[in-house]
Amino acid sequence: MILSVLTFLPLLSALLIVLLPTAWQQRYKYITLLTTLVQVIISIYIYLNFADNQAGVTREQGFQFVEHRSWIGLDLGSLGRLQIDYFMGLDGLSMPFMLLTSVIMFVAALSSWEITRNLKGYFALFLLLDTAVIGVFGALDFFLFYIFYELMLLPLYFLIGMWGGVRREYAAIKFFLYTLFGSVFMLLVMIGLYFSVNDPVTGNHTFNILQMMNPNNYTDGALFSQIANQQLFGIPARLLAFIILFIAFAIKVPIVPLHTWLPDAHVEAPTPVSIILAGILLKVGGYGIMRICFGIFPDAAIHSAWWLGLIGVVSILYGALNALAQTDLKRLIAYSSVSHMGFVLLGVASVTAEGASGAMMQMVSHGFLSAMLFFLVGVLYNRVHNREIANFRGLALIMPQYTVFIMIAFFASLGLPGFSAFIAEVFSLIGAFNSQSINGLLPRWMAVGGSVGILLGAAYFLWTLQRMFFGQTRLWGGEEWRTQLTDVSVREKLALVPMAALALVLGVFPSLVFDKINTSVLEFVNHVLNK
Amino acid sequence: MTLDTPVVLTDLAIAAAILPLLSFLVTGLFAKPGKGAFLAILTIAISFILSAIVFSQTWNRLDIHQQYVWFTIGNTSFYAGILLNNLGSLMLLLVSGIALLVHIYSTAYMKGDAYLHRYWAHLSLFCFSMLSMVIADNLLLIYIFWELVGFSSYLLIGFWFTRDAAVQANKKAFIVNRIGDLGILSGLMIVFTQFGTFDLQQLLGENGLIINAFVQNGEWINGVHTMPAVWLTVAGLGFVLGAIAKSAQFPLHVWLPDAMEGPTAVSSLIHAATMVAAGIFLLARLFPLFNDTVLLVIAITGTLTALMAATIALVQNDIKKVLAYSTISQLGFMMLAIGIGQYSAAIFHLTTHAFFKCLLFLSAGAVIHEMHHVKQVAPVDFDHQDIRNMGGLRKHMPVTFIAMLVASLALIGIPLTSGYLSKDAILISSFEWAALRGSWSKIIPVTALITSWLTAFYTARLFFKVFLGKNRWRILSPEGHIHEAPPAMRYPLVILALCSTFLIFSVNPLLYEDAWLLRGFPAVESLERINIIHTVIPALVNLLAILIIYFAWQQYARRDKTIFTNRGFFYDFAFNKWYIDNLYQAAIIKRVLNLAAFVRGFDRVIVDGMVHLLAKVGQALATLSAWLDTYIVDGLVNGVGILSKSIGNFARNMQTGKLQHYLLITLFIVITFFIVTYFSLAI
Amino acid sequence: MIPFTHFMLVGAILFCIGLYAVLTKRNAIQILIGIEFMINAAIINFVAAGQYDKDRMGGQLFALFAIVMAAAAVAVALAIILKVYQHYKTIDPDKIDQLRN
Repeated sequence: MILSVLTFLPLLSALLIVLLPTAWQQRYKYITLLTTLVQVIISIYIYLNFADNQAGVTREQGFQFVEHRSWIGLDLGSLGRLQIDYFMGLDGLSMPFMLLTSVIMFVAALSSWEITRNLKGYFALFLLLDTAVIGVFGALDFFLFYIFYELMLLPLYFLIGMWGGVRREYAAIKFFLYTLFGSVFMLLVMIGLYFSVNDPVTGNHTFNILQMMNPNNYTDGALFSQIANQQLFGIPARLLAFIILFIAFAIKVPIVPLHTWLPDAHVEAPTPVSIILAGILLKVGGYGIMRICFGIFPDAAIHSAWWLGLIGVVSILYGALNALAQTDLKRLIAYSSVSHMGFVLLGVASVTAEGASGAMMQMVSHGFLSAMLFFLVGVLYNRVHNREIANFRGLALIMPQYTVFIMIAFFASLGLPGFSAFIAEVFSLIGAFNSQSINGLLPRWMAVGGSVGILLGAAYFLWTLQRMFFGQTRLWGGEEWRTQLTDVSVREKLALVPMAALALVLGVFPSLVFDKINTSVLEFVNHVLNK
Repeated sequence: MTLDTPVVLTDLAIAAAILPLLSFLVTGLFAKPGKGAFLAILTIAISFILSAIVFSQTWNRLDIHQQYVWFTIGNTSFYAGILLNNLGSLMLLLVSGIALLVHIYSTAYMKGDAYLHRYWAHLSLFCFSMLSMVIADNLLLIYIFWELVGFSSYLLIGFWFTRDAAVQANKKAFIVNRIGDLGILSGLMIVFTQFGTFDLQQLLGENGLIINAFVQNGEWINGVHTMPAVWLTVAGLGFVLGAIAKSAQFPLHVWLPDAMEGPTAVSSLIHAATMVAAGIFLLARLFPLFNDTVLLVIAITGTLTALMAATIALVQNDIKKVLAYSTISQLGFMMLAIGIGQYSAAIFHLTTHAFFKCLLFLSAGAVIHEMHHVKQVAPVDFDHQDIRNMGGLRKHMPVTFIAMLVASLALIGIPLTSGYLSKDAILISSFEWAALRGSWSKIIPVTALITSWLTAFYTARLFFKVFLGKNRWRILSPEGHIHEAPPAMRYPLVILALCSTFLIFSVNPLLYEDAWLLRGFPAVESLERINIIHTVIPALVNLLAILIIYFAWQQYARRDKTIFTNRGFFYDFAFNKWYIDNLYQAAIIKRVLNLAAFVRGFDRVIVDGMVHLLAKVGQALATLSAWLDTYIVDGLVNGVGILSKSIGNFARNMQTGKLQHYLLITLFIVITFFIVTYFSLAI
Repeated sequence: MIPFTHFMLVGAILFCIGLYAVLTKRNAIQILIGIEFMINAAIINFVAAGQYDKDRMGGQLFALFAIVMAAAAVAVALAIILKVYQHYKTIDPDKIDQLRN
């Protein structure tokens, strides 16, 4: 029940906002903030009551806070019964994202103060997005998952396209088409899977993700049956399906070369949407790769692990080099996201406990840190409507507290020990390095190559710090800017402090995450390796 | 409460490390500008006392190892813990002791700075990281604090963040150190993959995993795990790379001279005495991991660095730069000692060097402090750190003069100083080491010997130029007056001067083998004692050194001359720091930035271009289908419409409303009917 | 004896004359005369066919009946035409088009 409350509470609030008169529009943000705050409280409750000895991943018994109801049960005559369940549940792979989403949504709500136009539409869409994202992480029925997954797109399209920057329409359409391109093919695979899998209890075809993970549930000779080993267009069907699903999620992650929507979307999106994009949306990709791609097609995943690792390394280095050359602060951070999410792919592809844990940690950590970074850029942009690195210099003198937050965010992102990103990146790399000795999936040089990304990370962040924040104050906008560039306000601190604190706490006590996910990660690794 | 139980001792050690963190947090979060000194000094003082207790209880006793589960990944638990052995507790004492003195010194040196609270906070953070690093019991923790040390060094180098040079320098320092960190990370990954643990004692203990692992048929075997033997070398080189970066060895030494942009007290503590020694510390800790190839690399790097830095130091004019290069040079000696398997000598030199180099910097700081005052009343702007503007300070700053004298003698390695003992240990060991090997290996001790003479010269040059000769600053600033350093600066100098003599290290001022510190570490590679070396080398070194000093005195103190005026090739080569910075700028930084710019263009034009191309193709297809739709598909539909419309019109036009038309039509139809009926019957 | 075909021919000729008048005349009375022609053509046919039904005299009887009916119809039609003329001042059927609009 609690999962449904968590998921649909924002939807209720969205309805409330739609029904309230426009005269009250200044109060919409408080309704939103309150909703997200309640979500944070519920998520903390879930976190505290989450039993860390339950594995989940493949077995429904191992999931917690499960809600399993029949939803659509249409009799299709000779095709059997259409069995779509309302099936939600949490395990170690999804629980951290619930907490992450709640916190990021809270922060995004706080940063929505900057929105001034058409508040009713904005907050209603915002809350709709909230529901969709939470739903994605909770859904265990592929059909339900897909609905939530597509539901995310719609509000995002409008949020970027209506409240964005100068080239918002371009960015929104690019984002929308890119993502849709991936998910349309996902639909085909989903239907193919549906007709391949039988519920062992009812005998019907089913969309249940967990049953898709069990090779015994596939009908003999079905398209995606492991034993039948069917071919499609000369490629094994399961491999093809894996690749299609991977591309769908990889666009979200994003990986090189499917990343170009990200800088544009980030740059044009309003700050709260950037926060949500970087903080949560990218994690949907990583989560999908783990749960759906690796979960349902472990054989194909093993088969293509080498390539996934390579893509991870390329993303790390390519993103970092790109970040080094950017002149717009927000673009720089967007590319750093590409680089950091590369570690996720590398860690997952290693299929080791260290790598997968590191990848999970990286997603959580990057969630907080990128949200913080985008929030900070938003702070600057709100004040002077400019983000060019070269236009600022010596900000430390006039915005000392802001500089402290920027330094925390930068150093945490570049992997300074004591912050979560360090643990995450180190263990992603250790996993990748370990892989050859344990399961022989990734060669050792990939880990070494990936670690160069850490060096480049230091380079672009420190260079930015030096150029924008240190030295004597010199601003492109002169005295006018100097008066506009006030230090962070209380509301902004309210948003920044929790994220900085979380990054720090998770860095010092990584067991807060690792303990909760460990059993699931082990189960995940064993499942993929078919042990 | 007995102090020697392991639990109590580890608790004390943890407290010693954590207290500065407390100071950092409190000062960083709550202190008002200019405050924070009291808390910082108090915490470091307590740390020092605790460290002293820990040291007295653990030196030459059994190792104390206490650990707690930190987190678990998969089936592996990662621990956080304390390892107190001779090396750890010695470093603990050394770091906290010198840090305490530097803290006290800073109260006077940094007086009146607008951001003083930040200074204390950052200094406390550094102490926390450094103290934690030396007692950490596993590689992961060491790595963590290793980076934190680098981070606090970053903060302190850039303390005066409005100066461009300072923020350039701290960026450089951090990034160069990051290169080393990559090495350590690689080493870490290899060790973890091979042994499944980071624990130092499990790895390196009496019957540790590393000692039991062996190389066979090109495979590095450890019980269950195997990997190609080359990875053993790579792991070693990785850690060495880390040490090279942190200890400013060739070719990653470039950050240290630039780091002198930080406050001098910081340079003294971090960039001379403690942090830069962390590389040596790490290599000493991990000594059993290194195979012969790696050790040789260490030895060659050390020797080369020592020589290079000494030659550069000869011609520098900035007082701190000279000292910085001498630090690099001395660290090279320590690397050399490790490379020849005498890590006890390295640690010994590390300890003595910590004291006398700290003293040198603090004395230089006192001089700079006074010169700065002189500059403030001067009519012209001049570089107050340039030794060419100093001179004759002996009469004005007698205590500083004597402190600096002791430190310089120790740096040169004149008998009765601590430097003599430790430097001899390295030099003599290197000769003994070379004796066991081929003739080519003589290059290393001989280079070291030459370097120690160069050291004598540049030290003498620095010293004479600053304290003897004419008062050159009078010409620049006739109003200026130079005073003795204030008490808070003076007393640390005196204490450090005492520590730079042989007194606290050995009862015999001439024979390093009697030093208690040296005996605290097991001889890893036993060298055959060649007696003749033990007599000839010290005599040779010192005799020539004294001649060199005398020559320098003649030139700089009595005649007030400059020797290196002709700008020949060698001068330029040394003055421009062997052109290494220029090389990096041209060969690496520019290339990386160009690559980044290229990748950015690639991303824009090619990758995004592909997307746009796809969009264009889509648009073209859409236009095409729109045309088809309008003219073909819709044309069909419209055609049907038009047809029915015309039929409709035709039918409509028949409805004339004229009776006779209708009748005619009726008639026509009837006749048609009959005709059709008639013919159909016929058919 | 006059053959049956001749009666039929006379009838057909009469009918065609009547039909022509109905279709082409612009005067309602002339159209009415045309109609009378056509009715008489039918009556001639009835009478001619009567020779084959000597017992019951069906042809002659129907002829008489049709004559009576035609006389009545002509009376009514003339009355309508008179009324139309009073209303429209014309008896041209083409111009009487008020219903059309």
